[in-house]
Amino acid sequence: MQMRPEIQIQSVLKAMTDVVLPALDPSNKLAQEQARLCMGLLVLLGQQLPLQFRFDCDELKRLVALAHTLASDVKDDACAATALASLGRLSQSAGDVLERAKADPAEVRDAVRKLRAATSAVVQAVYADPAAQSVSAVQRTVLASSQAQLLRDRSLMLMQNWEANPKAIPPIQELLA
Amino acid sequence: MTTAEDVDKNRPSASWIAALRSRFPVEAEIDRVLTRRMERRAGPAFAPLALDTLVKGVESLIKSQHQGVFEITDARWLSGGASKLQMAFTLHWTPPGKMAQATPMVLRMEPSESIVETSRLREFQLIKAMEGVVPVPPVFWCDSLGEHLPYPALIYGFAEGVTKPAASSSGVSGLGMSLPPELRAKLVPQFVGCLAKIHTFDYRKADLSAFTEPAPGTQCAEWGINWWERVWEEDSDEDSPILRLAAGWLRRHMPTLTRPCLVHADYRTGNFLFTEHDSQITAWLDWELGRIGDPHQDLAWVTSQGFAQLDSEGRRLVCGLMTEADFFEAYEKASGIAVNPITVHWYKVYNAYMIGVLTLGTGYRIARNGKTHQDVLVTWLMGISSMILDEIRELIENAPQGGR
Repeated sequence: MQMRPEIQIQSVLKAMTDVVLPALDPSNKLAQEQARLCMGLLVLLGQQLPLQFRFDCDELKRLVALAHTLASDVKDDACAATALASLGRLSQSAGDVLERAKADPAEVRDAVRKLRAATSAVVQAVYADPAAQSVSAVQRTVLASSQAQLLRDRSLMLMQNWEANPKAIPPIQELLA
Repeated sequence: MTTAEDVDKNRPSASWIAALRSRFPVEAEIDRVLTRRMERRAGPAFAPLALDTLVKGVESLIKSQHQGVFEITDARWLSGGASKLQMAFTLHWTPPGKMAQATPMVLRMEPSESIVETSRLREFQLIKAMEGVVPVPPVFWCDSLGEHLPYPALIYGFAEGVTKPAASSSGVSGLGMSLPPELRAKLVPQFVGCLAKIHTFDYRKADLSAFTEPAPGTQCAEWGINWWERVWEEDSDEDSPILRLAAGWLRRHMPTLTRPCLVHADYRTGNFLFTEHDSQITAWLDWELGRIGDPHQDLAWVTSQGFAQLDSEGRRLVCGLMTEADFFEAYEKASGIAVNPITVHWYKVYNAYMIGVLTLGTGYRIARNGKTHQDVLVTWLMGISSMILDEIRELIENAPQGGR
C-alpha cells in the first residue's frame, strides 16, 4: 500500500500552507485560528501515527507490571479480593496480547516492501529470459495473488468514489477479518 | 537489478541516471526531459510563484520573439488540471500583418516536477502541425528550456467553448462525463472524424523536429514500454509485482507498427471544447503525450473502461458517446485504417500500465518531494491506482488468442 497516511498528511499541509492559508480573509480571526489548529493537529497526527502502536504496547506492558505488583501488595486484604480476581484475569489476557504484538508495525511494513521488491525481481528475471519455462505459471500466480490484494486496496479507497460499482467491493473490515 | 532499497531516488546519482538512460532507450526529446528532471530532482521543492514573476517571464519570452510594443493586462490564475500551472492574461499587441488587438491568452507552465513529465516543444510543434487539420487552440510562443520563465512553458490563445454541458456532472479531469443523447448525436461524427484526420495526416510534411519516427517493426511499442518502465524505475517507492508482470507481458507481445501516424495519446471526452449553441467542436486540447506511433494507441484510449458511461438502456458507451462496435466501424470508415483487435488490446494494457506508473509511482514521488502546485491532488489521485492495476490484471487474463 503506497497511499499511506504520511504522504497524505504532508500534501494536505502543503496545500494549506501554500494555497489555503494565504487565501483566507485576514480579518476572519476564527477561520485563521481554526485553519492553523487543523494544521497543528495534522502535524501532531503525523508524529503520532508511527509511534502510536509502540506507545500503546509500552503502556500495556507497564500496566501488566503494575497489576502484578498491586496483586502482591494487597493479597492479604480481603476487601479487594473481587477486584483482584478481575485484575488477575485481565492482566493474564493483556500479557497474551503483548506476547502476540511483538513485531513493530514498522517492521511489518519493511517486510512488505522487501517482499514486494524481491517478488518483483523474480517476475522481471523470468520475463527477461526468452528461454524461461515458468512464464505461464508465474503469470497465473501473480495475477491470482494480485487479484486478492488489489480487492483489498480498492476497498480501502472506496470513499474516494472511483468505483463504477462500489457495491461489488466488500467492506475492508470484512476483507481483513 | 537495482531496487528502491539500493538507490536514493530523491537524490539520484549521475551514474544511476546514465544507467537508466542506457537501459531504456527512448526518443531523444523524451530522454532530454526525463534526464533534466532527474538532474534537478535533488533541488528545492516547488514554491508558490507570484503572478508578477510570471508576467515578467512572459514579457521576456515575447520580447525575444516578437518585434513591436505590447502590454500584458488582467493576469490571473486558472484552475484545473493536475499537471501544469496556468495563468490567463490579455496581450495588447499588433500581430505580424494584422491590426492592433487585445488577445486573451494562457500561459501553460510546468511545475518543478509534473505528474506527467513531457516536452513543451513537442506540445507546441504538435498543435502547430494540427492547425487547419482539426480544431486546436492557437499557440504563439514556447519557452522550451525555461530560459524566460521559472520552468518550461508555452503560450496559447483561448478557444471558444466548454468541455461539458453546463448542466452535466463529471469527476476529476472530466472523467465519467454524462452527455445527453441529442448532444451525443452531434458530437459523435466530429469526434470520430477528427481522430481519422489526425491519424491520416501526413506528419512528414510538418515541422516535428522534436519527434522521432520509429523504425518499422516493434520499435514504436518498445520505445513506449521503455518510456514508462524508466519512469517507474525513477519514481516508484514500493515495488509492484503486477506492474512488473505487465511490463514483461507487454515486451513479450509487442505489436508490429504497420502504419505510423500522429497519435494524440489523450483523446477523449473532456479534452475537447465545443460550443453549446451549435454543438461544434472548437478545439482539441492536451497534446502533451502525443507522438508518432500506432493509431491503436488512441483507439485503445478512447475505448478504455475508465472513460465509459452506461446509457439509459444499460449500453456501455465509449467516452460516453457511442458503443465500441459503432466507434470502430465509424472510425474504419472515416480513416480507411483497419482496426486490429489484438493490437487494440495490447495498447489497452499499455495505456493502463502508463496510468498505473504515473498515479502510483510519479504521484508518490513528486508529492513526497513537494514538487508541484497540486501535491494534494496528485496524492488524491494515487487512490485510483489499485483500480487501474486491477484493470491490467483483467486485461492480461482476458487477452485474445494471439495476444495472450
